[in-house]
Amino acid sequence: MTDAHFSVSSTGASAAAVAVHPAARPKMSARNLDFFYNGFHALKGVDFDIAEKRVTALIGPSGCGKSTLLRIFNRIYSIYPKLEAKGEVLLDGENILDPKYPLNRLRAKVGMVFQKPVPFPMSIYDNIAYAIRHYEKLPRSELDARVELALTQGALWGEVKDKLKQSALGLSGGQQQRLCIARAIALRPEVILLDEPTSALDPIATGKIEQLISELKDHYTIAIVTHNMQQAARCSDYTAFMYLGELVEFGATEMLFTKPSKKQTEDYITGRFG
Amino acid sequence: MAASPTTAIPASVVDAGRRAGSDARADGAFRWFVAAAAFIVLCALAGTAFSMLWGGREAFATFGPGFLTSTDWDPVNHKFGALVPIYGTLVTAAIAMLIAVPVSFGIALFLTEVAPNWLRGPVSAAIELLAGIPSIIYGMWGLFVFVPIMGEYVVPWLNDHLGPLPLIGSLFSGPPLGIGMLTAGIVLAIMVIPFISSVMREVFLTVPTRLKESAYALGSTTWEVVWDIVLPYTRSGVIGGIFLGLGRALGETMAVTFVLGNTHRLAASLLEPGNSIAATIANEFAEADSDLYRSSLIAIGFVLFIVTFIVLAAAKLMLRRLSRQEGAK
Amino acid sequence: MTTSSDTGSRAVADRLYRKRRLINGFNLLASGACAVFGLFWLVWILWTTLRHGIAAIKPSLFTQMTPPPGAEGGLANALFGSLLMNLMAILIGTVIGIAAGTYLSEFARKKPLGEVIRFVNDILLSAPSIVLGLFIYTLVVRQMGHFSALAGALALSLIVLPVVVRTTDEMLQLVPSQMREAALSLGVPQWKVTVQVLYRSALPGIVTGVLLALARISGETAPLLFTALNNQYWSTDVTQPMASVPVVMFQYAMSPYESWQSLAWAGAFVVTVFVLLLSVLSRTILIRNKVSHD
Repeated sequence: MTDAHFSVSSTGASAAAVAVHPAARPKMSARNLDFFYNGFHALKGVDFDIAEKRVTALIGPSGCGKSTLLRIFNRIYSIYPKLEAKGEVLLDGENILDPKYPLNRLRAKVGMVFQKPVPFPMSIYDNIAYAIRHYEKLPRSELDARVELALTQGALWGEVKDKLKQSALGLSGGQQQRLCIARAIALRPEVILLDEPTSALDPIATGKIEQLISELKDHYTIAIVTHNMQQAARCSDYTAFMYLGELVEFGATEMLFTKPSKKQTEDYITGRFG
Repeated sequence: MAASPTTAIPASVVDAGRRAGSDARADGAFRWFVAAAAFIVLCALAGTAFSMLWGGREAFATFGPGFLTSTDWDPVNHKFGALVPIYGTLVTAAIAMLIAVPVSFGIALFLTEVAPNWLRGPVSAAIELLAGIPSIIYGMWGLFVFVPIMGEYVVPWLNDHLGPLPLIGSLFSGPPLGIGMLTAGIVLAIMVIPFISSVMREVFLTVPTRLKESAYALGSTTWEVVWDIVLPYTRSGVIGGIFLGLGRALGETMAVTFVLGNTHRLAASLLEPGNSIAATIANEFAEADSDLYRSSLIAIGFVLFIVTFIVLAAAKLMLRRLSRQEGAK
Repeated sequence: MTTSSDTGSRAVADRLYRKRRLINGFNLLASGACAVFGLFWLVWILWTTLRHGIAAIKPSLFTQMTPPPGAEGGLANALFGSLLMNLMAILIGTVIGIAAGTYLSEFARKKPLGEVIRFVNDILLSAPSIVLGLFIYTLVVRQMGHFSALAGALALSLIVLPVVVRTTDEMLQLVPSQMREAALSLGVPQWKVTVQVLYRSALPGIVTGVLLALARISGETAPLLFTALNNQYWSTDVTQPMASVPVVMFQYAMSPYESWQSLAWAGAFVVTVFVLLLSVLSRTILIRNKVSHD
């Protein structure tokens, strides 16, 4: 990653072209990050930034380490044994890999949404209220307001406002995923990590989620892993291309897709990849 | 999106920082609690073994290894030997397995390969219902319904037709009491059939369809597919199921207590009353009036425990081998 | 030349084929006969219980105490004793069982210690119940100096325990790992995630396991014989001997008195109906849950 690359401001005509402020500040940064998985070296010396209030996409063939990288940013990997991260990951300058960094402060600041929508086996309302209740003791009316706000931001309020007490398992796949996004938002995080959030959804539901992402970036810092290059081109400001555990190229989305500087990147985005 | 969510926050974040410590402590306590519960499972089995070894020490010390080979059982003169109950336990279980294994195999075959689809669900549900009936009901049914039939029809017929035969004749001559080891073995067989057949059915279902299809494609009959493909493929699972049934048969108490006769005499005939370890304990424990008597009963309980432990452990290992073979694919 | 040997071998094949078909037909028929054989006993045993049981069912069954030899009476004290001891056993067995199952699924998956505990649990699951009774006898009755309902409940809880451990372990393992990740990524601590999210997800399965365990101990006699013993009178004191339906059935069925035998059949009927209801109920829960998941 070079500064020149990073500060390029695009004037392209593509619909995805978003004005990239040269001043975009890195909210989270990985520094010389290595990751080991049962002894397997899954990430090799990765340096990577997630810019504040921007959408940063991670692309690459399956197994390249893009999900692994994302899962380090809120240490969700640490629930499994035999996984080890080395290096630094900074959130506002503090190293979150430091064991002394309180895990639930990290997770309150950095929310995550997964591939398959996983609503909890409770009502729609409780799905949202569940995490809030863990952090704050709110009177009923305030809690109601917070739930409504989260569902509104999750672009789901209109569809569910009359059935908040019904089980969340009854929602469609797309609605369930928006519920999961709303659930992450409800904690008022600063960063939202999206791990292939649309891979289990149909095109219409995918479109809604993408629209939602573009609305959310006014307020949140977003990182998204996707296997779909068009999606990265459509919704992100910055894109990183990963291959075999290494970060090959990282820059403004517009640049990366039109003038990739590395041969591997070009091969991948033009579909000539093995 | 009227309110900008990032400006209002820190309340939750500050709170989160304060909570982190108490959450970690609660998580630690939770982990200890569930680990302790798991430890209780270990203790239950180990405790069972040790408490019986301890409870039986007086008998083992008094009678030595001869305890296992003596046929004495004389509470009045304080002489105890375990051979009769051990013999009865083994013989009734053997009779039960002789009947239950082929029948269970037949049922499993019927439920996986023969029966039309609409029949499979109801029949397997009914067979499993048989497994749910408490063993004391089997015992009462055995005593009040099955024993009279055995005494009136089956035993005289066996006396007449098998009694005169050389070698096995002595097994089948005896008084027409109805109670006895043969009756107990049959009742046990009825009890363990649902256990064995449901395990067999499950392991038969694990055979990959393509294996069976390729055999059918060669022109094999259903029976040949089952005998040459399904059975070899599931062998360890089938043996595991049989051992599981054997473990049940060895340790079953109530079903046999009713129909065995509670006699401490070693009889050559299967038609004579006898005893089993479990039945002896059930019948006599609450009335045992001396420490040695009680200790002897606990000691034969220990023998039963060791035998069933070996059988069940073998069953588990067999079944595990099949599931590993499944997983390796 | 070739043609004649061809027809010869074809004839051999035909004969072989007929023989194979015959063997096949016979064996498949035999398998059907086995199924009929199995069902035959089920029907016979249920029919006997029904016939004797219904004849013996009277309102006094639920209001009167177990009678002395030859006299009329009911099973009120035994029914209460069974209910109380079963309840206590389920309570103890379920709490420890769910916790131990949680350990196996959430903390010891694929670990050697977990495998050992699973193995031991499976042995406990099929261990002879009379042996478990002897264990509680030495552990509790011997120490207290007398038989008690508490000892009976503990013996029964040893039967409940492995059933619950196993179903909890299996059901929690079925909960997708993404559910754990999603909940943990909200910063909720693991114990809360387990109790509030995972248990909820695994609940139908765990309830089924508990119901099956209840069915199993409802007719369990052997471990009660020398733990709770028996009591001819109404007793609510858990430190004293207490009557239970199966033990009363055992005592009365083996007796020569007709009124006692009839009470034993009444008990058999009540227990059987209860057990069958439980098994139908647990099946319904399981099936309904399966449908809603698909």
